[in-house]
Amino acid sequence: MQELVDETRAGSVRAASRLITLLEDNPSLVPQLLLRARDWPQVELILGITGAPGVGKSSVVDRLIAEWRVVRPDWRLAVVAVDPSSVFTGGAVLGDRVRMMAHANDPQVFIRSLANRGHLGGLTLGIRGIIRVLGLLGCRLVFLETVGVGQSEVEVSSVSDITAVLLAPGHGDSIQMIKAGVLETGDIFVINKSDREGAERLSAELRGTLKFTTARVHGLPPEIVKVSAARNTGLSALREAIEARAEKLASNRATMRSSGERQEVREFLLEASRHRISAVLEKPGVLEKLVERLARGDADLATVTSELLSSAGRAYCGDRTDPTAPSDPTDEKHDS
Amino acid sequence: MGRGRILIAKPGLDGHDRGAKYVAHLLRDAGYEVIYTGIRRSPEQIVNSAIQEDVRLIGLSLLSGAHNVLFRRVVDLLREKGAEDIMVFGGGTIPPKDVPGLEAMGIRAVFTPGTPAEVILSTVSKLLGENRSAGAS
Repeated sequence: MQELVDETRAGSVRAASRLITLLEDNPSLVPQLLLRARDWPQVELILGITGAPGVGKSSVVDRLIAEWRVVRPDWRLAVVAVDPSSVFTGGAVLGDRVRMMAHANDPQVFIRSLANRGHLGGLTLGIRGIIRVLGLLGCRLVFLETVGVGQSEVEVSSVSDITAVLLAPGHGDSIQMIKAGVLETGDIFVINKSDREGAERLSAELRGTLKFTTARVHGLPPEIVKVSAARNTGLSALREAIEARAEKLASNRATMRSSGERQEVREFLLEASRHRISAVLEKPGVLEKLVERLARGDADLATVTSELLSSAGRAYCGDRTDPTAPSDPTDEKHDS
Repeated sequence: MGRGRILIAKPGLDGHDRGAKYVAHLLRDAGYEVIYTGIRRSPEQIVNSAIQEDVRLIGLSLLSGAHNVLFRRVVDLLREKGAEDIMVFGGGTIPPKDVPGLEAMGIRAVFTPGTPAEVILSTVSKLLGENRSAGAS
């Protein structure tokens, strides 16, 4: 891994893309990488782009890349675009790149498509590590495009500095506007396809809703920008709105990033604990015996949970070379 | 974990993408992660995308007759960029007499019209080094 890190720092796109694959395939490397990466160059702005399937996320990103290439010609930019994996086969067709091929030969633009591999929340496991790799490669701005989200995929707002929620006319009435979820996460609401009928009404309904939204992810009131990616209108105004907001957030960025690092370690610890407990439960007969004891009233859920936690812990302490082979929590004393 | 990442691309000027999309879908259902890049791409765009996406395999679909020139360009560019470990296969309306020439330039497999899906899948699997025990060379 160290070799890939050194080559990435020297600017090798090949090494960076291999390092990303490594993290994607082994998300457990991410917390370790984050803690060792404190002195790495960091991405200056992580811009989350989220919204329902088909609202035009990739097309808007394509236009925004062109905007930034003009105003910041010396910046290296990156896009990380997540699409869903099949729950049935694990396969995926990743098609966000199709809209961005105009930038494929621009050495200052790095685009990577990722499958979510069953991870819920709209992104992929290890995303923070992937962003650090892009920082190491010298990227100053990362567009983080989520899968086409439904209502509750809000993870992007905890990873991004600024979250843009994309909407388009024809995607639901005013009751959709007051539900909890994705709409609470937006710093900037982008109404795409604004040349179409219904854009004015959508904008008015959204304005009405946001007026009453008091929860603020980053402390600044949300704003609404109307664009059309197809007609290339409103994109400069959107870029300016994002830049203005980024400037106001600059002082908070260090705090936000280090809380992100803690968050990643936290998620990894929870995930690893879950795996270890699950390994105990999957031993033959264990679950059946637990269910029987609960059904007979010999034990309550809280007791069984404590037993499970301690056998998962004992399994690891007892045999450090094989943490996946835990001892049996249903030994004789439980049945007595 | 995915079974492997594959880029499906259409170089050249024909817009007939049914075959490319069919193969993308086929590979998806077999558990691969497929990056699809759309129609009318240049060899440069295809190779740059393949490197950024860190794929192990590129599938080129072409129905315009320019395969001898464009497939070679993709293979040459991969070599120039130090990415010759990324393997290339091709498909489309390619006359059988051209296949040996394409294979000689380093195209690992060529699927002409009528190739059964199973042949595509078993070839891809072999190229990616799966089923080693089954005796793939």
